[in-house]
Amino acid sequence: MPTAFPLPSDLSPATVTNTASLLRIVALSLISGAAIASRLFAVINFESIIHEFDPWFNYRATRVLASKGFYEFWNWFDPTAWYPLGRVVGGTVYPGLMATSGVIYNFLHALNLPVDIRNICVMLAPGFSALTAWATYMFTKELKDESAGLLAAAFIGIVPGYISRSVAGSYDNEAIAIFLLMFTFFCWIKALKLGSALFGTLAAVFYFYMVAAWGGYVFITNMIPLHGLVLILMGRFSSRLYVAYSSWYAIGTLSSMQVPFVGFQPVSTSEHMAALGVFGLLQIVAFTQLVRSHVSSKQFQDLLFLALVTVGLLGFVGVVGLTYKGVIAPWTGRFYSLWDTGYAKKHIPIIASVSEHQPTAWPSFFMDLQFLIFLFPAGVVLCFHQLRDEHVFVIIYAAMASYFAGVMVRLMLTLTPVVCVASAVAFSSLLDTYLDAAEPAEAADDASETASASGSNSGSKKAKKATASAATPGSALGDIVAAATPAKKGEKVKGIFGLDTRLAIIVNAFGMLAFFVFHCTWATANAYSSPSVVLASTNPDGSQHIIDDFREAYYWLRQNTPETAVVMSWWDYGYQIAGMADRPTLVDNNTWNNTHIATVGKAMSSSEEVAYPILRKHDVDYVLVIFGGLLGYSGDDINKFLWMVRIAQGVWPEEIQEPNYFTPQGEYRVDDKASTAMKNSLMYKMSYYRFAELFGGGQATDRVRQQQVPKIGPTLDYLDEAYTTENWIVRIYEVRKEDLLGRDLKSANAFAKGKKRKRSKPVSRRRAIVN
Amino acid sequence: MLLLPLLALFSLSLTRAAPADETRQSLVALAAAGGGLIKLDSASYDLLTAPNRDWSASIEFTALDPRRRCAPCKEFAPSWHSVAKAWTKAPKAHRDNHFFATLDFDDGQAVFQKLGLASAPVVYVYPPTAGPRAKGRSDPSKYDFSHGFEAEPLAQHLSNHTPIPIPYSKPFDWARWTTFGAGFLAFAVTLRFISPVLQSRWTWAIGTILVSLVMTSGYMFTRIRGSPFIGQDGSWIAGGFQNQFGQEVQVIAVVYGTLGFAFVMLTMVIPYQSAQRQRFQIYLWSTIIMLVYSILIVLFKVKNRGYPFRLLM
Repeated sequence: MPTAFPLPSDLSPATVTNTASLLRIVALSLISGAAIASRLFAVINFESIIHEFDPWFNYRATRVLASKGFYEFWNWFDPTAWYPLGRVVGGTVYPGLMATSGVIYNFLHALNLPVDIRNICVMLAPGFSALTAWATYMFTKELKDESAGLLAAAFIGIVPGYISRSVAGSYDNEAIAIFLLMFTFFCWIKALKLGSALFGTLAAVFYFYMVAAWGGYVFITNMIPLHGLVLILMGRFSSRLYVAYSSWYAIGTLSSMQVPFVGFQPVSTSEHMAALGVFGLLQIVAFTQLVRSHVSSKQFQDLLFLALVTVGLLGFVGVVGLTYKGVIAPWTGRFYSLWDTGYAKKHIPIIASVSEHQPTAWPSFFMDLQFLIFLFPAGVVLCFHQLRDEHVFVIIYAAMASYFAGVMVRLMLTLTPVVCVASAVAFSSLLDTYLDAAEPAEAADDASETASASGSNSGSKKAKKATASAATPGSALGDIVAAATPAKKGEKVKGIFGLDTRLAIIVNAFGMLAFFVFHCTWATANAYSSPSVVLASTNPDGSQHIIDDFREAYYWLRQNTPETAVVMSWWDYGYQIAGMADRPTLVDNNTWNNTHIATVGKAMSSSEEVAYPILRKHDVDYVLVIFGGLLGYSGDDINKFLWMVRIAQGVWPEEIQEPNYFTPQGEYRVDDKASTAMKNSLMYKMSYYRFAELFGGGQATDRVRQQQVPKIGPTLDYLDEAYTTENWIVRIYEVRKEDLLGRDLKSANAFAKGKKRKRSKPVSRRRAIVN
Repeated sequence: MLLLPLLALFSLSLTRAAPADETRQSLVALAAAGGGLIKLDSASYDLLTAPNRDWSASIEFTALDPRRRCAPCKEFAPSWHSVAKAWTKAPKAHRDNHFFATLDFDDGQAVFQKLGLASAPVVYVYPPTAGPRAKGRSDPSKYDFSHGFEAEPLAQHLSNHTPIPIPYSKPFDWARWTTFGAGFLAFAVTLRFISPVLQSRWTWAIGTILVSLVMTSGYMFTRIRGSPFIGQDGSWIAGGFQNQFGQEVQVIAVVYGTLGFAFVMLTMVIPYQSAQRQRFQIYLWSTIIMLVYSILIVLFKVKNRGYPFRLLM
């Protein structure tokens, strides 16, 4: 048998197998190391700090769990959030993440390792990404073989699409959820392949963990039934499917109902009805199969078929009827807006306002997945080529996830695993073909060649390996690889001629892999490793300049205000204020009460006179706004202002109208030409109060909007400036108490000003930071 | 038939100082003649928006003449007509307290100038200034087109200003349901013939691949944001990382498709070919991959200017 390059001939098959498995272990541990290491940019560039917004709540909850125990955490009522309503945290949270950190914390402390809870929270996501790599390896191994599994693990370890949600410090539910997602899918595939109730139960247990950890569990709840349904429609019903699905559904549903936040949803909302429906359908189909195997009469079988269709239809009509009657809750807005994409913007602006709920443009796909994005269709084609039950799963997953990722940037996270898996299958098939040393003989009926090439499609891999190595012991290494690629066109000779062709492909392929590594490192370092609590800019000499205004402001609140001082801000900053300043907030990132948020929106977008009673009624002591005009920080409140207006308009359409905040030409301006409503709004006044003074009589320019703000800035009668941070990013205002003489504050202020200008102004030490 | 409203108008402009009740009667007559919609000119506009009105009015300012080339006006006209028509179904007592009217640019340039309108269509709602429904304000409010030109949000919004909600119901979409029914029937009839196609895995493969290619090229972005097919200046690629045009979807999908297809060729087709063809094809497809990938990187650099890497180009 001809080979393209010489192979060692004195290796026993046992040596090859042992070396291969050792190499696999080494490779997997290296991949884990790379996965963890590439997520540490944030810690090295900044510090070990919790990122962004939601993680601050998770961190705060974890601290409660670690210091007071699980029972206290479970019954925790937080009176400082959503002031004055409060929040039942134990019942409105997915506790999986906090419980995981709590377990790790207690475990380490039991070993006398006094690790700080913050460091556990910061490092949890990188740690779990290593586990995700392993779970992806296991999953892909079931689809093709170990080598594809290793590639998939490497891909998911460093792909930016997953790193974006799991850098060190990004302590969010997704940090552990993707591992759980992949492992549940692996257990499901394994259960389906083996017809094993054990793996079905394991899938259910991890499904429970997933339910406890992330709202995205609904994706699993619908993927597995969809897979089951498609298999039934393809005529692939089997007792394996029955056992796997029934054990997963029964145990998974019952256990998922133990999470208080989920409760009875699995039997009462539309999101979960597909799983129930397929469960019922499977019972009917199984029953029909059973009866059919015992009855021979043709008429009876027809009758049975009819009965099956009738029962199925009746069940469907029943579910629809119950939904109509209101027993089963219809799709929730968040879920519904995935299908009807205009829905959220019209009816729930609060969902549409979140930046991660925006649709995805193609550069984001390429940024997050790079060359995997075009290998992915090739992998799907290969799945169609083989089309075993597990390949059907990947195909459905691929189609669904690409749609969802297109609708919402955030759901790129669910697409990433399947892209890694499918492209690993494609890439390893390519490598299998071109690394194989065996050259096909020109004559088509070389006996040994046919034997090695036409390994049976569904036979176990070990058997195939055995056949392959038995047929051509001389090229064991190459043939193990060759045997792993099932060849369907059994009669045709498969193989590559020549060495140059192989080299061309292999060099090309490894070049692409290397480019991928560079891309991932660059994307991670530049785009995904900013904590967003601390900002970085570069000084003219190239050194890094840290902008720490957020923490400066939060610590000011913490040190200088009474512990009961209520702080009002837009909801984005609620968790951070609670976490870092430890002060009660009106609204936070939980966004469960639209009216409450709209109240804040109304206060921000109305004039001082209108806003003041609202502030007083809610006991607001301080108002906090984010202002980026000095520094050019574009994520500030003036840029978010239209959403506040829109959300307030949804509740008070008579009082707040979005067009009033635009110029007659329909422009959004903050300069002289700004509309009256805009200029009078509390948000505008708080943002630009005394801003012009900073320029010492020169032209004051807003660096975000690139507009020149009026030289005579707005005046405030009902609020006092309490604190402004170094770069003016955070501005805090104190709400004045009612005038002691019973005048309204405006006239009181005018009176005071008319008498004497006694409000001495401190000399401004602040200067513009050049970045 | 045309004479009647004209005559009515003429008589109206003569009796300018007539009591409001009389004006209302003539407006009612005009509305009835126009099928619920008063076609205004400068004179009747003044009448309708008389300072001591105890009725409300919503007026559409439009420019339907082809010379004005106002595409949005044409788009909005059917919605306006259907809402105005729906109002004729309201009980007479309420109906006569609110009027729907249309003023075309060519009929009342003076009014457009007076109101400072530079664009069309615009909808103004004039509240009543006298009578029980007056709320003390007389300046009109503008309808916000951010909900689009559809009739439904329009009716919903205008209902805030009418005495009773406009009895608008979405017309039954016959065309859509007929198409749907016909499609379903055709499917059922031809099911026997097309079932081999439906049962072929490659039909489904093509479907899945197309779906994932189109979706990963940002199709949903263009759908949801309603981005144009090409830019105003004729460029087909939009600047900016979080933005794209319709044509980019096609180009990127073709690029991804070509690259994916090359890999499929390399793994599934080429290994079965004879030595000569194989070598040629391997070099061919490798070159294609390198070239198309380089183009893709170039396109990405257009979107993300800070991207530091490049391939051949």
